[in-house]
Amino acid sequence: MLPLSLLNAAQNKPMLVELKNGETFNGHLVNCDNFMNITLREVYQTNTEGDRFWKLKECYIRGSTIKYLRVPDTLLDAVKEEQNRARDAGRGARGAFVSGGNRGRGAPSRGGRGGRGGPMRGGRGRGRGA
Amino acid sequence: MSSLQGYVDRRVLLILQDGRVIVGVMVGFDQRSNVVLSDSKERIYSIDAGVEEIPLGLYLVKGDMIVLIGELDDAVDTAVDLGTIHAEPIPPIRY
Amino acid sequence: MLIFSVFKTLTDQQVTVELKNDLSITGVLKSVDQFLNIRLDSIKVLDEARHPHMMAVKNCFIRGSVVRYVQLPSEHVDTQLLEDATRRESLAAVKR
Repeated sequence: MLPLSLLNAAQNKPMLVELKNGETFNGHLVNCDNFMNITLREVYQTNTEGDRFWKLKECYIRGSTIKYLRVPDTLLDAVKEEQNRARDAGRGARGAFVSGGNRGRGAPSRGGRGGRGGPMRGGRGRGRGA
Repeated sequence: MSSLQGYVDRRVLLILQDGRVIVGVMVGFDQRSNVVLSDSKERIYSIDAGVEEIPLGLYLVKGDMIVLIGELDDAVDTAVDLGTIHAEPIPPIRY
Repeated sequence: MLIFSVFKTLTDQQVTVELKNDLSITGVLKSVDQFLNIRLDSIKVLDEARHPHMMAVKNCFIRGSVVRYVQLPSEHVDTQLLEDATRRESLAAVKR
């Protein structure tokens, strides 16, 4: 799973961002880009020493100044599930018979990996590794 | 940067530029060696107390902060009683 | 790029990498990439008593940007060849 996929999935989720200078920002992710530039809303900022606090309505952080981001544990499963769905959809779109998004709704064999799409088995059509 | 591929889904130890040590399961990485760790914990070393582990959960570390990523030998790691280990923290990077 | 090639010829040799945080790590060079990131196998940290942090680490990836020195096995470096290659490369750079 790519770090940027995780970040993209974190939109509207709470996160903690520490900068290289030790300042931290707690807030909800509004937006992000491929450089990991981010905007947060409803932010609590602390200084490097951790003894002063500021509340900001919104802030922009340049990706290159970030040390790390801490995101909710639940995001991991959300991203994995989303990737499985995207992969299954990709397979479905290339196989005949199935059309569009409402394929397989309520079908008994939902959920498990593999099995569906018969002739399309094999190396093609899987998501990227990692 | 194919060299990080072997670490995916493994328990790894990260050393950061500021001297922090973080252990966790590597769930992903990219070209810039940005890394995602799940179940991560910071290990805090000190001379006059045993190692303290602080749970951090799901963590995205920027590649430019990373010094080293090591694959943990789980058998060895779990056999060590961290509480008995006293050591100086790893110094931060100085250019 | 020349140094990248030198490192590639040294795969499976034992090297010692000194980092900019003063840690020194000895191990078998497994791979290197264009950033001079290094993969080491069967690693050993110098002065393990002072640095027990990596006790359970058997192999590692080191970011090229934090490497201060790499001690090379001199018997596996053809310095004459390296000198010539360096001259050739710098000559080529001037011409360009």
